[in-house]
Amino acid sequence: MSEKWPLKVSAKEITSGLLHAKDVEVMIGRLAMEEAWEPIGPTPFPHVSTLRSWDHKLLGRYKPFYAPFCDYCCLCTYGKCDLSKGKLGACGLDLKAQQGRIVLLACCIGAATHTSHARHMVDHLIEKYGHDFPINLGQDIAVEMPHARLITGVKPKTLGDLAYLLNYCEQQITQCLSATHTGQEGSYIDFESKALHVGMIDHLSMEIADVAQIVAFNFPKGDPNAPLTWLGLGVLDLRKPVVLCIGHNVSAGIEVIEYLEKSGLGGPGQTVDIGGLCCTAHDITRYRDQAKVVGPISDQLRIIRSGAADAIMTDEQCIRTNVLFEAQRVKTPLIATSDKASYGLMDVSDLPVEKIVEMLVSGSVPGVYLPDLEKAGAVVAVTAIRMAPIRQKFKIIPDTSQIQSAASKCTLCGTCRRNCPIDLPVDQAVFNAKKGSFDMLAALHDVCLGCARCEQVCPQKIAPLTLIEAAAQAKIKTEKYLMRVGRGPILDTEIREVGSPIVLGEIPGVVAYVGCANFPNGGMEVALMAREFARRGFIVTLSGCSAMVASYYRNEEGKTIYEEFPGSFDRGGVVNVGSCVANAHITGAAIKIANIFARRPLRANYEEIADYILNRVGAVGVAWGAYSQKAASIATGCNRLGIPVIVGPQGSKYRRMYLGKAEDRDSFTVYDARTGEQSWVGPVPEHLIIALENMNECMVWTAKLCIRPNDTTKGRMIKLTHYVDLYKRIYGRLPPDLQMFVRTEADIPITFKDEVVQHLKEVGWKPWEKPSVDPTLLRRLVRV
Amino acid sequence: MAMTVKPWQWGNVPSHEMATPVKGEVVPKLMKAAKRPLLITGGEALKEKWGDKPLIDFVAEVAKIGIPVIATADSYKALRDRGVEPAAIMSVADVTNRLQDPAWSIDGKGSYDLVMYVGISYQLQSQMLSTLKNFATHLKTMSLDRYFHPNATFSLPNLKQDEWEQVLNNVVKALKS
Ligand code: SF4
Ligand code: SF4
Ligand code: SF4
Repeated sequence: MSEKWPLKVSAKEITSGLLHAKDVEVMIGRLAMEEAWEPIGPTPFPHVSTLRSWDHKLLGRYKPFYAPFCDYCCLCTYGKCDLSKGKLGACGLDLKAQQGRIVLLACCIGAATHTSHARHMVDHLIEKYGHDFPINLGQDIAVEMPHARLITGVKPKTLGDLAYLLNYCEQQITQCLSATHTGQEGSYIDFESKALHVGMIDHLSMEIADVAQIVAFNFPKGDPNAPLTWLGLGVLDLRKPVVLCIGHNVSAGIEVIEYLEKSGLGGPGQTVDIGGLCCTAHDITRYRDQAKVVGPISDQLRIIRSGAADAIMTDEQCIRTNVLFEAQRVKTPLIATSDKASYGLMDVSDLPVEKIVEMLVSGSVPGVYLPDLEKAGAVVAVTAIRMAPIRQKFKIIPDTSQIQSAASKCTLCGTCRRNCPIDLPVDQAVFNAKKGSFDMLAALHDVCLGCARCEQVCPQKIAPLTLIEAAAQAKIKTEKYLMRVGRGPILDTEIREVGSPIVLGEIPGVVAYVGCANFPNGGMEVALMAREFARRGFIVTLSGCSAMVASYYRNEEGKTIYEEFPGSFDRGGVVNVGSCVANAHITGAAIKIANIFARRPLRANYEEIADYILNRVGAVGVAWGAYSQKAASIATGCNRLGIPVIVGPQGSKYRRMYLGKAEDRDSFTVYDARTGEQSWVGPVPEHLIIALENMNECMVWTAKLCIRPNDTTKGRMIKLTHYVDLYKRIYGRLPPDLQMFVRTEADIPITFKDEVVQHLKEVGWKPWEKPSVDPTLLRRLVRV
Repeated sequence: MAMTVKPWQWGNVPSHEMATPVKGEVVPKLMKAAKRPLLITGGEALKEKWGDKPLIDFVAEVAKIGIPVIATADSYKALRDRGVEPAAIMSVADVTNRLQDPAWSIDGKGSYDLVMYVGISYQLQSQMLSTLKNFATHLKTMSLDRYFHPNATFSLPNLKQDEWEQVLNNVVKALKS
């Protein structure tokens, strides 16, 4: 049992009625909250409907836009029900509600995944270091867990406190998930409100998971100069035994390193090379920067099939579910460590290390399930060392000389392309290879998702992905990039420096490139966009697979983005926060701006802080390759906090966007907190989540979505300069909606003054009567 | 017209009811019959080919014949360079969102009756067509891309590049006549 305190106070008790002092005292006392660090705010431990009125405000402006991916519902045995064109299901559900329900389900899956990740991490760390292990992020971070403080009202001090907070997260996710049962919620707006709620919980769980691992494993604590580490398919030292760690929960991988170090075999790269895929890769390099990042999820099959790994260790999330089969093909033993992904393997927890290694090395079993992480660390290390001379890096990627014959049966039937998630012309590439030209195949390596769906369907049993990799071998060997290790949270000192220029608009925005690798045209687009905005003086933050691929592009001097730009949270900084769970630090920075810079009360004060961020903090998330349910919940959590998100074209398959209508003036009317009067502030930000078609369009929208009602004239002028500049470069003209953002002549970008003035004249623009307001959507914040 | 056609992306099966696949010669007839047609184009129109020109040249031809065009993604500049001023520049989600409202149109003259998409990436277009199919039942929709779009009211079947270019040639010819 990981909890320090057996007492569990339910959120209902806490939030219902008038918040009995006795209850609060019990809760606070239990969570070591003796010191009154800040008066308790209105919504500690919010229940599913506590913040519903805030959600409804957001959803009134940013109405859910649905693009069903499927017209049926098949969730219960009355179905399948055809819900198309206004039809109701057997339970009375309509198609919009069904979309909201599926979105909620996705968000519950995403939040549950991070929460169970956090639970595993915290339990493991408590077992290792004890309940009382302190939450200490160093002297530059006093607001250690802004989400925890904001949402629950608790200032966690120990790992035990984190275990306690997870009870709340688990309870909320269960509540929200239950609403998706047949015959429960029936309104799409309330499905969305619950999705927003569970998205908020997701950020709390991510924060718990990341802070726990930062403090316990001594990861960088917000260090802007965190070291650079190697990344790419070509970085592993194939002369050595290689361990590949796949997944998101680094506690398993760290045990391998600890075993090697304790056994006198040295750290990563000495006797054994250690590479990671997906977020475990981020976190393993946060622990030891000599470990290497092979790449995002899309590189899994590539690296496994290349035969580089002598042992594969899996933990949880974003692992290819046929990893056992693929590992077997290249004779690599698999050690699965998570009960969430155990692949039907034998549980060998009760066997001694030597016996397990013997089973794996002899090939009597292709893999084992071993949730005892300490033991797993030893098994993986020893197995890799023993397997290396036996396997001799056995691979199934053919040599270039074999490509043409492997492609010889291709009939250009197109089946592979028509099953490729991103519609790559893989059919033509294979057909060209049949004719002896491999260039097209090799070029696909840069954009292909590595999913192998094409291989499942080829009637000629050709394996296009394998051929792509074979054709790109020469290039793959050169794929070595430098990435800054994930630095974790943003320092309070940095927030003090940038709070004012961000809120006033003088730093034009914070752009967060986050999430997965389902990029429309390869990861290079993330690299190009991140560089563009860093050069423009935006603060660029990155996480997860996006943080990895941002290093794929070198500048004129041969530098990756992490070498070109400083790692500080400041104008023109490029900040890799770390793995997916480190996303909480990006939203956490927005919260800290409201609290540390603007001195808004933080404790249990969600609505006010979200209102502040929506109206003042020009931050935008870009999840350009989002594919997962986790990405859905992360994005939705950003949205509840007032941060707009852009997803790539594949993101339209999430089925739902939150779109404003610029022409709907009422919806963009806010209170002026100084006077109580209502004012139109222009469509800023215009949307909360939108899918866009391509990189050019994304860049223009990124600049536009950083505009906020609170910008000073100087800030607005700077933001409009970037919007107009990008617009002119891509569209060759001024933005047609420019007049909606120009409040007074002082807002006009100096660089484009003449043409903007001309445009404003043509559209009959007049200076706004009230160009400057103290904007809020909350009537209760009006001071008169 | 009794063709049965698989969606271009095999997995993109939204329902038992899918678009009516139309032969090339039917396309200009539908366009001519429409009283309030609208053509929405996007970033793929810069990449796809129409003979030795990019597809955006086809869009420009249609626009010059008098069908209003909305330029999404980064398609605007290429249209302007071809002497066409689109009716609006919007994101495809923005225009599709507004098309759900029967009262909405760019010129304020009431609902469109035939909304066409061309040169927009397959999956994004498919999702937009799904929105209109389900929530804008007052509209007929058609994809002019060479891929069968099950969510449209009418769609070309999956065509080879040369077959499709021929269809587009005929559309221009028929609309001009
Ligand atoms: S949950 Fe409702 S809509 Fe879905 S299959 Fe069951 S009865 Fe039909
Ligand atoms: S499915 Fe196979 S035979 Fe058909 S085009 Fe693709 S590789 Fe060639
Ligand atoms: S492996 Fe690459 S080419 Fe094959 S289906 Fe997946 S993305 Fe397409």
